[in-house]
Amino acid sequence: MSAATQGAAAEGVSAAATARPRAIRAAILSSPQALAGLAIVGAFVAVALLSPLLLDGNPRAKVGPIFEHPGSGHLLGTDGGGADMVKLLIAGTRVSLLVGFAAALVSAFIGGTVGLLAGFFGGKIDIALMRMTDYVLVIPDIPLMIVVAALFGRSLTNIILIIGVIYWTTTARLIRAQVKSVRERVYVKRAGALGAGNTRLITKHVLPQVAPLLIANTVLLVAYAIFAETFITFLGLGDPSIISWGRLIQNAFTDDAILNDAWWAIVPPGVCVTLVVLGSTMFGQSLEDALNPRLRSGHLSVRRFRMRPLGGQLDSE
Amino acid sequence: MRGLDYVGKRLLFAALTVVVAITLNFVLFRTLSGDAVSALRCRQCTAQFKEYQRQELGLDNSKWEQYRIYLVDLAHGNLGKSLRSEAPVTGELWPPLKNTVPMVALGTFFSIVFGVLVGVISAWRRGTWADRTGLWTGLSFYSMPPQWLGLLVVLFVAGAVGLPTSGIKDPTLGILGDASTWAVFVDRMRHMTLPALTLGLVLYGEYALIVRSAMLETLGEDYVLTARAKGLSNWATVWRHGLRNALLPIVTLVALSLGFIIGGSITIEYVFSYPGIGLAVVEAIDQRDYPVLQGAFLLLTLAVIVANLVADLLYFKLDPRVST
Amino acid sequence: MTPLLEVDGLNVWFDLPGGGELHAVRGIDFELDAGERFGLVGESGCGKTTAILTMMGLLPPNASVAGEVRLGGENILARGEESVSPHRWNDIAMVFQGAMNAFNPVQTVGSQIEEPMRLHGIAEGKNARRQVEELFERVGIPSDRASRYPHEFSGGMRQRAAIAMALACEPKILLADEPTTALDVMVQAQILELLSSLATDFDLALILVTHDLPIVAHVCDRAAVMYAGVIAESGTIDDLFHAPRHPYTRLLFAATPDLHAGGDRVVSIPGAPPRLDQPIVGCPFEPRCDRAFEPCPTVTPALKRVGDRHVAACHLNDIVREATA
Repeated sequence: MSAATQGAAAEGVSAAATARPRAIRAAILSSPQALAGLAIVGAFVAVALLSPLLLDGNPRAKVGPIFEHPGSGHLLGTDGGGADMVKLLIAGTRVSLLVGFAAALVSAFIGGTVGLLAGFFGGKIDIALMRMTDYVLVIPDIPLMIVVAALFGRSLTNIILIIGVIYWTTTARLIRAQVKSVRERVYVKRAGALGAGNTRLITKHVLPQVAPLLIANTVLLVAYAIFAETFITFLGLGDPSIISWGRLIQNAFTDDAILNDAWWAIVPPGVCVTLVVLGSTMFGQSLEDALNPRLRSGHLSVRRFRMRPLGGQLDSE
Repeated sequence: MRGLDYVGKRLLFAALTVVVAITLNFVLFRTLSGDAVSALRCRQCTAQFKEYQRQELGLDNSKWEQYRIYLVDLAHGNLGKSLRSEAPVTGELWPPLKNTVPMVALGTFFSIVFGVLVGVISAWRRGTWADRTGLWTGLSFYSMPPQWLGLLVVLFVAGAVGLPTSGIKDPTLGILGDASTWAVFVDRMRHMTLPALTLGLVLYGEYALIVRSAMLETLGEDYVLTARAKGLSNWATVWRHGLRNALLPIVTLVALSLGFIIGGSITIEYVFSYPGIGLAVVEAIDQRDYPVLQGAFLLLTLAVIVANLVADLLYFKLDPRVST
Repeated sequence: MTPLLEVDGLNVWFDLPGGGELHAVRGIDFELDAGERFGLVGESGCGKTTAILTMMGLLPPNASVAGEVRLGGENILARGEESVSPHRWNDIAMVFQGAMNAFNPVQTVGSQIEEPMRLHGIAEGKNARRQVEELFERVGIPSDRASRYPHEFSGGMRQRAAIAMALACEPKILLADEPTTALDVMVQAQILELLSSLATDFDLALILVTHDLPIVAHVCDRAAVMYAGVIAESGTIDDLFHAPRHPYTRLLFAATPDLHAGGDRVVSIPGAPPRLDQPIVGCPFEPRCDRAFEPCPTVTPALKRVGDRHVAACHLNDIVREATA
């Protein structure tokens, strides 16, 4: 899953998006896919928020033999250090989501600002910013992340910053396109003609139109960030003092969980990552479908139009 | 000739990006990361030795001077020397590269074939179970971290199909007399299969979604209705008007995914201990062999830039509307 | 002599995403003789485009159809897609609304015209190319343009190319859906002239769908006025312009004082057409009608003869008849 491709596909959304909050809310509520996606992500968020209540003591504490099978004592068995998998997963949820949201916010902020400035002011600023974005975009994201993480050490803050700084480009493009289309709308021009200052134009007229799209995009960014964090951590570049889903996968690898046939140490953390990414993609995809109605009607389908009997007609398909 | 303009612009852009990449490489490794020598784990190194190393590596010059030397070296294809083995970096990277390319090619090839197939069928039979299967399998694989998928493959698949899960050579091959070329080839292929499969599955997810999306967009276009009106069968319409046009966005998006292919293959090679360039990167990180890391990163970045350029030129060839 | 085309009790429904149906075409009948030019007029959303798409079976999967479309006596809708698809392009062809996008941007225009020729066994290879060039000349495009791409054509030329493409397999009936919208005023007149002369030269029957009345007057012999999925009135152009027997027709045509001027007239009758996703009680035009009276809100008017080849669906005609009985 690469951010660049999601961004490129999502760009098609921006111009068509009417971005009225009520319309968006209705779109979300009417789509089972969007609701399911939201529910999945929401469930994980709930676990993360409740984690202080669900955990007591250090989740990494050895509470049983290493790689113990799942059983009544430990619902998902123990890991290579004898710690309870369920507790580890809960702790991991908190950290992974934290990293995800924090990095996504950084990306959204940088990308949103760049997109806003480029789209609103146009002209030379636009060209300069987009040129810069193009160059950044070409550098492969994951190798860059790995290299920077390797060079700059392993603290959590650094990782958040690194991910955030890599992924802002697609947001920038998306927001820029949206701002441009909003800007063309009559009331913005009128407000400008009436002498409203740029700041006022931006905050009162442009931002509300752009906000829903930005939020939808940020949800997707959270997924990328969590995904990216697993990469970094797996290669040993993560913060050793924290537990995240990525770290759990890495631990399973370095502790030779495979040799011990300990699937319970390997499968669950990956499932968590997959579910969160899946959930947010479902949500984002449904939103895109709702905002871009053309995707709904194809001229070609294996299914045909139906004939209805009317006074003894032959029925067909 | 049509679009010399366009080709020229893309070439220029590619060249400039190469410059940016090279400079970024330099900035990252030389300027910001501090002194490579002081990072050397070298307990017995005396201050004198370190000073000697510094001079050897040219680190006692000013930053601009270092940059100049760096560029000159690059022009000669000199990527420096490995800190660990003292051998030239290019020599260190070449064999792993030779291992990685076929593995990645294999995986990517299959993912494109299956991705396109599933994507087209999904879009064509939109709303049916075929579409839903395609969509959900695509989404699921797309959401899985490659290294985790690799672990799952090792855990569940390897044993079942009896394929090796690490390295590229069977150590016992060739011990009792010379192994035939065929045996060696088969051995290599067997070792390549699981990592390629993992990469292929991850990419398949992405490509199936991209192709489906592009096809849906295309199939909603007016000229598809016209084709149907002219009496073309569903199949002919999908092929001649749908897919052909959907190729445009597909090509672009596939090229954009190269960065991910590289990233994915790094983690996958690590899981499978497959001695490719990805594993070399991981080992270089582990051993703080910065020249090797720098060289590898540069090579990978250049590969992506070239791939993007190829995609741009391909797009140009496919779409007659492009002229600026 | 049997009419070339007979539409009999045609109904089209579209399934709506939230459940329910949109009844877009609510039982229409009309006839078309060989070589005749027929106009289908109405506001946007009245079902005229859907009606002609149905004649070629070009409906999406959420559509369902009832009624008959008889081509030379044979009901081509008898088995749905299966029975209608063999007639596409070689018997009935269409010039779509917004022909700008009817062409695939990555293929040459010529190849797209050769495509149906090859498909229907009309011509191949060099032969086909030659015929394309002849068609181009007939529609007024320099023949060397066949190897060009659609984006290299101006709007008017693309429209001509679309017409050439429609004639590729020598159909008997040409359906033209808003052929002059989005074109320059000057070009509009040229395209209409072209359609007219082509219909004569190729002995085509023409159905011209539009909301623009002057062009119907210019090109057609007869016309039907559609409103909310039904035919309100149908007759010769003379009848409709000078002796309309439906208030909608009268208001529509009265809003265009000069028959011979070109250009779009924005028809503005206050109010809006009824919703088609709900059953309509009584006359669909009643809420906007200036002559509505007692039966109109509750009794649906049937299409009745009011003259030679002149029918109208309005209760007012019953009064007149009674008065003259």
